[in-house]
Amino acid sequence: MNVGHDWRRLFRLPRDNARATAREIDDEIAFHLAMREEKLRRLGVEPNEARAEARTRFGDQQLVREECVSIDQQHAREVRLMEWLDSVLADLRYAIRTLRRRPAFTLVATLTLAVGIGATTAMFTLVNGILLRPLPYPRSDRIVQLYQAYPEKGLDHWGISQENIAMYRDRSSDFESFAAYRGGRLTLTGGDRAVRLNVALVTADFFHVLGVSPARGRPFTRDEDAQGRNDIIILSDGLWHSRFGGRTDLIGSTMELDGQPTRIVGIMPPSFQFPDVQTQAWLPMGLDPTRRHAWFNLGLARLKPGVSIEHAHRQTTAIMWDWARREPDLMGLTSIQPERTRMETKVVALQQAMVGDTRRPLVVLLASVGLMLLIAIANVATLLSSRAAVRQREIVLRTALGATRSRVTRQLLTESIALAVGGAIIGVALAYVAVRGFTHSEIVALPRLSEVHVDATVLAVTLIVTLTSGILFGLLPTLHGLRGRRAADLSSGTRESAHRSVRRFNNGLVIAQLSLSLVLLIASGLMLESFRRLTTLDLGFRPDGVTSIALPLPSKYSNSATRSNPFIATLLERIRATPGVQLAALAWGLPFEGNSNVDGYLIQGRPIPSSGNEGQTYQIAASPGYFATLGIPLLYGRDFTTADDTTGTPVSIIDESIARKFFTGTNALGKRIRVTGDTTWTTIVGVVGAIHDDDATQLPGPHMYVSLAQQGSNQLALAVRTRGNSSSTIQEVRAMIAALEPSIPLDHVRLLTSVIGESFATRRLTELLLAGFAAIAVLLAGVGIYGVMSLSVANRQREFGVRLAVGADPAGLVRLVLREGVVLAALGVGIGVIGALVATRSMTSLLYGVSPTDPLIFLSLAVLLAAIAVASCVMPARRASKSDPLVALRAD
Amino acid sequence: MADAQSDLLRSSLDLLILKTLSWGPMHGYAISEWIEAASESVVLLDEGTLYPALHRLERRGWIAAEWGVSDNNRRAKFYRLTNAGRMRFRAESSVWHRHAAPIVATLARKSPAPS
Repeated sequence: MNVGHDWRRLFRLPRDNARATAREIDDEIAFHLAMREEKLRRLGVEPNEARAEARTRFGDQQLVREECVSIDQQHAREVRLMEWLDSVLADLRYAIRTLRRRPAFTLVATLTLAVGIGATTAMFTLVNGILLRPLPYPRSDRIVQLYQAYPEKGLDHWGISQENIAMYRDRSSDFESFAAYRGGRLTLTGGDRAVRLNVALVTADFFHVLGVSPARGRPFTRDEDAQGRNDIIILSDGLWHSRFGGRTDLIGSTMELDGQPTRIVGIMPPSFQFPDVQTQAWLPMGLDPTRRHAWFNLGLARLKPGVSIEHAHRQTTAIMWDWARREPDLMGLTSIQPERTRMETKVVALQQAMVGDTRRPLVVLLASVGLMLLIAIANVATLLSSRAAVRQREIVLRTALGATRSRVTRQLLTESIALAVGGAIIGVALAYVAVRGFTHSEIVALPRLSEVHVDATVLAVTLIVTLTSGILFGLLPTLHGLRGRRAADLSSGTRESAHRSVRRFNNGLVIAQLSLSLVLLIASGLMLESFRRLTTLDLGFRPDGVTSIALPLPSKYSNSATRSNPFIATLLERIRATPGVQLAALAWGLPFEGNSNVDGYLIQGRPIPSSGNEGQTYQIAASPGYFATLGIPLLYGRDFTTADDTTGTPVSIIDESIARKFFTGTNALGKRIRVTGDTTWTTIVGVVGAIHDDDATQLPGPHMYVSLAQQGSNQLALAVRTRGNSSSTIQEVRAMIAALEPSIPLDHVRLLTSVIGESFATRRLTELLLAGFAAIAVLLAGVGIYGVMSLSVANRQREFGVRLAVGADPAGLVRLVLREGVVLAALGVGIGVIGALVATRSMTSLLYGVSPTDPLIFLSLAVLLAAIAVASCVMPARRASKSDPLVALRAD
Repeated sequence: MADAQSDLLRSSLDLLILKTLSWGPMHGYAISEWIEAASESVVLLDEGTLYPALHRLERRGWIAAEWGVSDNNRRAKFYRLTNAGRMRFRAESSVWHRHAAPIVATLARKSPAPS
């Protein structure tokens, strides 16, 4: 009760004085009745009758009374609110005057807070836009993504086939609508230059599931799902503007895709960016429910009202099991028992599916920024508490002059909140710039980045953070500063004891700052070390100097090795002849480009594992010279040759990780291997080194290479290893290809090293930000300990002076102060190590090759921080040894 | 019906109170006497309804209240017009002047045809 009362006084909330109000109203009514009665009596009415008549004429007294009471109470509340606002304004003016009198203090405190609040705001903007804000579709929480899992085959994220699409669409009763999609690339031909488009191949209900309609034109209809009717396209707003200049008469006209005329039926609104921001157009996939292989699609569905994700998961899994049992040769083999293989259909909220792996790093970064904010608050609290010591007299004086303790506290609180708000204004501006830089940066690869911006939610959270910070750093030192201080303390003799308690308080804050910054330092140290190990990892091939050029072959060559071979041979021959080109080769895909085919494999003569138990391998078709170009060592046997074409025996080259499992030395050569998706056996002619692919943090997965001249394909990747200046050489290569076949778009040219770098993008970002936060934290902690030690030395000038006067050794004084710093550093570092041991456990999934408790990192960073802390005490310690005894004595 | 009547009466009562107080400070009883005399007891059906109206006007800042002593030496609450109240009275009475007569004339008409 008492606390509530105090708080009320602190903020002057209205108190109920209903009784007094009611009494006044009663008096007023009584006066009226008495006057009326008197008048009636004067007119000759009998006293009793006059009394009754007065009451009758007045009406319902109780009602009048209640109405008046309620009006008056409202009135009183309004008056008090206005008074309160007035006094707050007065406090604010006073606070601003006080702050302006100490510009250095105000500047340092404001900037410290600006960094803390700004970084928190920026990080929260990212978290809000990516993790918290619902997707920009109506009732987006009802939209789910569907894929399959086949854990026994290591397929945790197995797509769905066209047969599966039709099966889920037709047999599940949990979905309001069901669609599927996959990414693809098409070549826009017919202009002066071929352009490659990132497209999504979808089923008819795709837009219906998401609840978004084209801004112009129409969505796809169900009958356009059928093959032969799918020669239509819906454009993105971006493509509409960039390629067609935003022409309004575009709907119904025709464009040429891979040489096929395609009719434009719709244009999406600019905000529509699904599956991702790169998608430039949507086409019907030409659903063929008899296509059982190619599990490339993802399902997209809207749950019926009231249906849970869990229910949809059970129902679709039942449908899948039923299908798997009826399709015994699903994987080209015999019988599947779905129960045993633990196959299931995954149904995941779309938002969760899109955010995926970025949740953990973002949460870690937000937590780090929170720690940094705490350090900033502690820092400002130290600054304020050293001022509180200085202002002790002022406060005591004001109290003596009649200001209540709560009034003084409120005044000080207003000051700290004013500081916090000043910091927040600069901080939000910083955050705004940082977030803009982020979302416009090429190197940041986060999902939903286009939806990230500083919005009302962010500002509301920033306001709460700001006020909380202000109260936190304002209230701590003031409460402490006011405790037990009375008018008697105006005499300066008791200042020493006041200084001592301020010092204890500040020491606590310094320890807190040191320990928090050590947690950040260690977290970022672990990230840095992980990153160093990843980037210096031997990937099994040499990406530097290799340029990757995506080479989609025009339809006249595609899908037939016999048709494409002569062209490919000529192409390679001319590229290799280009000056500056050292080596060149073609393949289905290069490592880390994510275009590889993954399939089960079987070795002839080995027992055939039960279906679902086959090992999985990347299957890549490559031209001769592929291994040399990428720098993958050939261990046994030979490379592919031009003779390995459709006329020759099907051949393959396996990597070490397959070879070691089944063969020793050269005895792999001559054995036969095939993938489960293809019944042709291939003869092993070589063994090459294993490589990391797609995700460097994983162990090298098995790779099986087949001869490109025997397999054919239309989506190829060209690898060119150059000598010297690569960009001019690549320029020549491009010109040469364009001259040979102008319909090939050549806009996807990248260095292989940057392709690999992209797979580290999120890690890199996490590492950079964390390192930045840690650096700021250490800086703040260093400034904090310096400030506290300087203040402590300044306050003990008299003591030091006296000591020197009675013959103390100046070097001894330096040691005395430093010893204090060492104790603080040791305590801070000790607590920080414990904190880091707890905190870094949540980072395990972000680390690579480093234990979250790596002793070397813990030890070296602890020592580093302790050294910084002690070094920050050196200057104040020197000052202590130069204390002038006379100055000290004169001070009183 | 009752609502329409009370709305109209309430706003006209407010106006009459302001008018009454424009002669100078008065206590509630005197205001009621004045209004009853001037309006032939049409507006103030129950005398008590005057008081919520007074308190509402006070809350709006158009009148101010103060305890004083009446002619017959009783403690009474006196109301006076504030500057804001005076301006409000001028504005509102001009509205009444402009609209009241046409409205009365319109309501009195017997035929739908425009004249």
